[in-house]
Amino acid sequence: MSERPPGADAREERGPVLRKGVGIPASGWIDPRGRALGGFAFSANRVTGLGLVFYLYLHLGVLSLLLGGERSWNDFIRLATSWAFLSLDVLLILGILYHGLNGIRVALVGSGIVADRQRALWWSLGAVGTIALIAATLHIIGSR
Amino acid sequence: MATIETRPEGSRKARARSAAAGRSWIATTLTGVALLILLGVHMVANHFVVESVGGLRSYRQVLDYIRHPVILATESVFLLVVTVHAMLGVRGVMLDLDPSPRARRWIDAGLIAFGVLTLAYGYFLIGTLASRA
Repeated sequence: MSERPPGADAREERGPVLRKGVGIPASGWIDPRGRALGGFAFSANRVTGLGLVFYLYLHLGVLSLLLGGERSWNDFIRLATSWAFLSLDVLLILGILYHGLNGIRVALVGSGIVADRQRALWWSLGAVGTIALIAATLHIIGSR
Repeated sequence: MATIETRPEGSRKARARSAAAGRSWIATTLTGVALLILLGVHMVANHFVVESVGGLRSYRQVLDYIRHPVILATESVFLLVVTVHAMLGVRGVMLDLDPSPRARRWIDAGLIAFGVLTLAYGYFLIGTLASRA
């Protein structure tokens, strides 16, 4: 009689696949709690990406005001230079910087160029992003 | 000792899906790299070197900007690249939900249609503004 390995019976049962082992479930990125830095970075990349897709269509909508001529665009400029709107611009820059810089990290790690330096890359690109965000914020505040 | 097959040899469909995932990753990465340059140019040109309140171009400045052939071409390529990158990103998020092959085909078709509509509207917008310049 051949010995059956542990879990063989469970594998034959019908029902949902229970994931187990290294890594996170593919759909589990939405909740990064208790995960390592890579899990948090991946989750934040997804969230900022979806936010930027939303902004892409918002931006197209705003640019449609140009079709209405000079008056309609100038009305928008008055709204866009309010403090509330400029604060959202800072949030947008944060999203762009995070998604872009983390994208560089993912491309470098995923392509094997610096496969074993992802943590160092995250922190160093994070420093670059923080400096760029501060500079952009000062520019946005100064432009008002 | 008995063994259990935990990672069976991939079927032709599974291999094709894996190759498609690889192509999708490469396309996302390439468009992402292109976006770093194009978005940088777009942001600086539109919001950081403009002498205007709030870093926004006035109506007349927008028309003057889009009139330049190099800018027109750059913004057109930017629209294409950002749309492809966005659709690939949304596809990645949706495929994380592990849809059935049939749902996957619907997702692909829907995102292609949505991307084409986005491009059509974006180019209409760019074309209309360029024609007014």
